[in-house]
Amino acid sequence: MTPVFVLLSALGLGLIGWFAARAKAQKLFTGRGSLHSLPGYHGWHQATWVILPALAIWTLWQIFSPGLVEAAVLGDPATGILTETGIQRTAILSEARQLAFNPDAPAFNPKARELAGAFAAAITKFNWIGTALTLVVAFAGGAWGYTRVKAAYPARTKVERSVMFALLLASLIAILTTVGIIGSLIFETANFFSFVSPIDFLFGTHWAPDPFAPVTDDIGRKYGAIPLFWGTIFIGAIIAMIVAIPLGLMSAIYLTQYANPRLRKWVKPILEILAGIPTVVYGYFAALTAAPLVRDFASSIGMANPSTESALAAGAVMGIMIIPFVSSMADDSIAAVPSAMRDGSLAMGATRSETIKRVLIPAALPGIVAGVMLAISRAIGETMIVYMAAGAAANLSANPLDSMTTVTFQIAKLLNSEGEFDHPATLAAFALGLVLFIVTLILNIIALRVVNRFREAYE
Amino acid sequence: MNKSASLWQSDAMATRIKKRYKAERRFKAFGIAAIVISMAFLVFLLVTMVSKGLGGIDWNFLTNSDATDPDLAGIWGALKGSFFVMGVTLVLSFPMGMLAAIYLEEFAPSNRWIGIIEVSINNLAAVPSIIFGLLGLAIFIQVMHLPRSSALVGGMTLALMTLPVIVIAGRNAIQAVPPSIRDAALAVGASPVQTVFHHVLPLALPGILTGTIIGMSRALGETAPLLLIGMRAFIGTPPDSFTSDATVLPMQIFLWSDEIDRGFVQNTSAAIIVLLVFLIAMNGLAIYLRNRFETRW
Repeated sequence: MTPVFVLLSALGLGLIGWFAARAKAQKLFTGRGSLHSLPGYHGWHQATWVILPALAIWTLWQIFSPGLVEAAVLGDPATGILTETGIQRTAILSEARQLAFNPDAPAFNPKARELAGAFAAAITKFNWIGTALTLVVAFAGGAWGYTRVKAAYPARTKVERSVMFALLLASLIAILTTVGIIGSLIFETANFFSFVSPIDFLFGTHWAPDPFAPVTDDIGRKYGAIPLFWGTIFIGAIIAMIVAIPLGLMSAIYLTQYANPRLRKWVKPILEILAGIPTVVYGYFAALTAAPLVRDFASSIGMANPSTESALAAGAVMGIMIIPFVSSMADDSIAAVPSAMRDGSLAMGATRSETIKRVLIPAALPGIVAGVMLAISRAIGETMIVYMAAGAAANLSANPLDSMTTVTFQIAKLLNSEGEFDHPATLAAFALGLVLFIVTLILNIIALRVVNRFREAYE
Repeated sequence: MNKSASLWQSDAMATRIKKRYKAERRFKAFGIAAIVISMAFLVFLLVTMVSKGLGGIDWNFLTNSDATDPDLAGIWGALKGSFFVMGVTLVLSFPMGMLAAIYLEEFAPSNRWIGIIEVSINNLAAVPSIIFGLLGLAIFIQVMHLPRSSALVGGMTLALMTLPVIVIAGRNAIQAVPPSIRDAALAVGASPVQTVFHHVLPLALPGILTGTIIGMSRALGETAPLLLIGMRAFIGTPPDSFTSDATVLPMQIFLWSDEIDRGFVQNTSAAIIVLLVFLIAMNGLAIYLRNRFETRW
């Protein structure tokens, strides 16, 4: 409740400040050129001075107040009952804090319930102090800003400077995200490698992590990720591409070379729908419809006990999902081939299909290959389809009817097993994530390079 | 008789040309087959969902929350969770994405730092979504101790995922505004910031909005990152704040698809229909905006 109140009152005060400063500036207006900045800019200048310092103080207070609350509670003579030390003491304190926010929360230690009252009182008190402090700062900032409203004051320059700062800050979010991803993946992976050696992880062939097993010295033998890498490549880069490349490429060729523009205008968006359907829907479809079909097929060719989950079902459905992606990349690269090449071939008497096969596709090949690489990077990063249809068994097999598992599947499974965060089984998910991140990054960088060089070649 | 004419009219040549025309027809048939197969799959998928799920959509289904009994279970809890998550995502990613696009397109000097920012935005757009889930788990939950499985964390995670989409769309939209507009504004004495905010941005806004809606519709269908930050619990009551336990529509579909009770097959398909209706509506809005406000300069 309090944060909403503080935010709203800061914004409200800012609004009042905006109107007040603008009114004051309007009174200073005596004719053309009498003011350095338009009254509206004085308003924005004022609002910035009211809102930003206040919110900064409030944020700082949010960071420091838990420590102050705890100090206040511990200074209370009532905490004499708290004789425990170490982890137990911390646990009781955090339980008491939970109780202070929510009296119905479960508490295992009766002492926590006794301390909850003290916590609630301290939290309320410090919240009030924080709110008051924020409002004081808002008024102080406002007063300082208000005295700045003078005819010669360069309010516009100042406001524009803070706008530029906000713009720069927004662009830095992208870098922060990248740094956050790389940093957290590397940090947790390093943690993981303190339990399991990188060689066991990258080259081992047995994958059976157990989040509840005690950590022993030979734990590395259960963390060989080769079956996962194989499953990922087999499903995402082989089966899915066997489906997606012919269908995507041929539909792009037909739409660009044969279809009349009206048909193209209708068919292309319809095919794009395939890319817009959420992956969980594909996953459900794969599990509900495709997997039983594959299983029936497997038993009809004499496989004993075929499993419901198969690499084929997941890979084929994933391939369908990727079709529009391959198709639009192929479309772009074929369109980039100069029409003189096509016209020359047709003029020599080649049929259209000969022109496509012998001239257009070889000329567009770098672009098509790059598109396929991007499609692979998307397919191996896909989670929901394999999570719902490919299975959990880490098989190292080349039979598409077998159940197989992938990197993304294992990440999702390991982090949903309710184990301890510090256990190697949980940390393994981050190591797998790092591998996935690096592989997709490399695929994307190479593909974009190829596309750019290819574009330049024909320009 | 002319030698070449006889060569062209020879039987061997006639068969050869016939063969080539046959190959031409075969190739064309492959192309048509590829399109027909892709579209048939789409139709099959939609028909399967509609035939299995349409019977399950009624007022109770839309207003109840998840329950262990498939007849009583509904999607209101998940729908409300989705609204909360999308709200957080929109509030964070739209302003940030728009401002970043403006900066990179209009004000950024071309130096190495800006190059790094551009490369990282383009790479983030291609990072698998599950990696964003790992980021959310490691930073938002383990470091910042925000409440697990809440709409707040889900929305923040999806906002980071949506941000590059909006930035890229925004940059394209801003690029499409002709330089003469900027020159005219600068020539009558507008400052660079005024030029951008009063003249360029209003013209680029439809394009930015279209990109935002497309990014949001991708976020609405996303499941994998939310799985990692714990939004997969059974939620029997709709969330009442941004920090309470929540689930979203795709996650509800995933959870129901795991149920053994046959009654949940209908529920799952019905929830998929609702999700697809929302996605179609959002994409329709994006197409409308693009057609309505797109200007060819």
